[in-house]
Amino acid sequence: MSILQVSGLAKAYGGIRALEEVSFDIAGPGIYGLIGPNGAGKTTLFDAVAGTVKPDSGRVMLQGQDVTGWPSHRMARAGISRTFQECRVLAEESCLDNVLFAAQPKGLGASVRQLITRASGHRRHLREEAMRLLSMVRLQDYAHQPAALLSFGQRRLLEIVSTFISSPEVFLLDEPASGVNPALLVVLADFISAMYAERPRVFLVVEHNMEFIMSLAQDIIVMHQGRVLERGTPAQVQASPAVMEAYLG
Amino acid sequence: MGRSLLWVLGLLVLAALLSAPSWTAEQPYVLHMLVLMCIFAIPAVGLNLMLGYSGLVSLGHMGFAGLGAYTAAVLMVDARWSFWSALGAATIASGLAGVCIGLICFRFRGHFFMIVTLAFGLLLHAVMNNWDEVTRGAAGFAGIPRPRPLQWGDEVISFGPLPHFYYLALGLALLAFAVQYLVVRSDLGRILSAIRQDERLARSRGVDVLLYKTVVFALGSALAGVGGVLQVSFLRVAAPASFNMLESINTVLIVIVGGAGSLMGPALGALLYVGLPEWLRLANEWRLVIFGGLLVLITLFAPAGLAGLLSSLWRRLSPPRGGSS
Repeated sequence: MSILQVSGLAKAYGGIRALEEVSFDIAGPGIYGLIGPNGAGKTTLFDAVAGTVKPDSGRVMLQGQDVTGWPSHRMARAGISRTFQECRVLAEESCLDNVLFAAQPKGLGASVRQLITRASGHRRHLREEAMRLLSMVRLQDYAHQPAALLSFGQRRLLEIVSTFISSPEVFLLDEPASGVNPALLVVLADFISAMYAERPRVFLVVEHNMEFIMSLAQDIIVMHQGRVLERGTPAQVQASPAVMEAYLG
Repeated sequence: MGRSLLWVLGLLVLAALLSAPSWTAEQPYVLHMLVLMCIFAIPAVGLNLMLGYSGLVSLGHMGFAGLGAYTAAVLMVDARWSFWSALGAATIASGLAGVCIGLICFRFRGHFFMIVTLAFGLLLHAVMNNWDEVTRGAAGFAGIPRPRPLQWGDEVISFGPLPHFYYLALGLALLAFAVQYLVVRSDLGRILSAIRQDERLARSRGVDVLLYKTVVFALGSALAGVGGVLQVSFLRVAAPASFNMLESINTVLIVIVGGAGSLMGPALGALLYVGLPEWLRLANEWRLVIFGGLLVLITLFAPAGLAGLLSSLWRRLSPPRGGSS
């Protein structure tokens, strides 16, 4: 049974067809790259898989379960965790609280129970884990500072770290390297590799920084004009004439 | 040290409030004003949960207070219910109306959301003003009783005398603030705050945004209903004008001037709203002018309201603490 299976996914915005019959299969854990020129449909694909937009047709299967068209909060609870191209964090909250928020239960029943019992026994363990993750991306000194004070690159790291604490099965990272300076980029690549080594899961990474993605991912999916154009190892993809054509016109 | 001092201050204020009937014995008028503050603070707490903590600016909030007030009035006068049962029923009715109306309003965002809440506020007011058979119309619903005396062993507590009614108002206000505290300092509060800061992010972290918005709208409306019941039981008359658009906007002003998204904001806002015009001996009409001016000043110089001003003053005065907060 595949972890993530996308078949015949299509989405149009008015006359613009952002996705046309996108199909791919992610059978097992791994770091997968999703590349393509601007306008190839990568973010729309992410939005459709994460439940932010409803696809017009096609199916998304998560571990054998049909999750097509589920709203994003349900997708998140089913095990799909994502970051955003524009980088989203809770600016008023401290870095630690940003990570802890990602971990806290989101069901109404659980929230009301916590409201009455004030139970926070599990928090201690979570705090330790959150601090460990923050220190892996060198944000431990900012743990109690509001996220608004961070640089863009640090915010990006905080956003990524926050997606890890809820232990999802599938990570969708939308351009994690964009806006991150070279020094932090190394930290980021090490973090993703370390998290993968700790527990192999599916990482699907949209990226424009070729050097970054080619060294990180073992399997690259290339999109062009709303379709999957090519798929293979970084070496295969880089050697493909179709991919060269798509990028260079 | 700063925190324990804050507790001491809080307890002193509480003690002053609890002993108010004795220190206002010479001036019962002050006690009357304290009751009014409680009456304004309770719906403001409800709106603070919506506006301050969840980012939902409702311009029809007092419509829900009116709904609660008239529900209780009809139940107490026409159906001869006791104050307490009517209070419970009116709170539930306002909360349920919040759910139904909220679900419609949440189809809109930002300014459109505000306009739709305004429209519902006007609609509720129009019903109160015109449904003569039930609400007695524009003339107002007179003859609303104070709560019946409570018997405690040999002790009989009647709510007729002002000091006794004051304790009822204070008790309900403290209850509203306690609910606010519990919500804000909980997982639920953190979810509401996340929705205010970034709805898309909250959703992608597993938050059912519509559900939580509905919950806080219901809670805010229910608290407005409690304030409405208290008001009409105190004044012994329900008048549509107490729950019109202007009053809804006043409640927004109380929350913003007091400090939206701060635990004490509604209390400070209500204190200023009721106290300032009285202290300055101004006509009621001047209240809006003063509050409008204050709103401009606060938006310009203290976006966190009076509570924000006080807390920054507190930080400046209290000695710096070592380590992280």
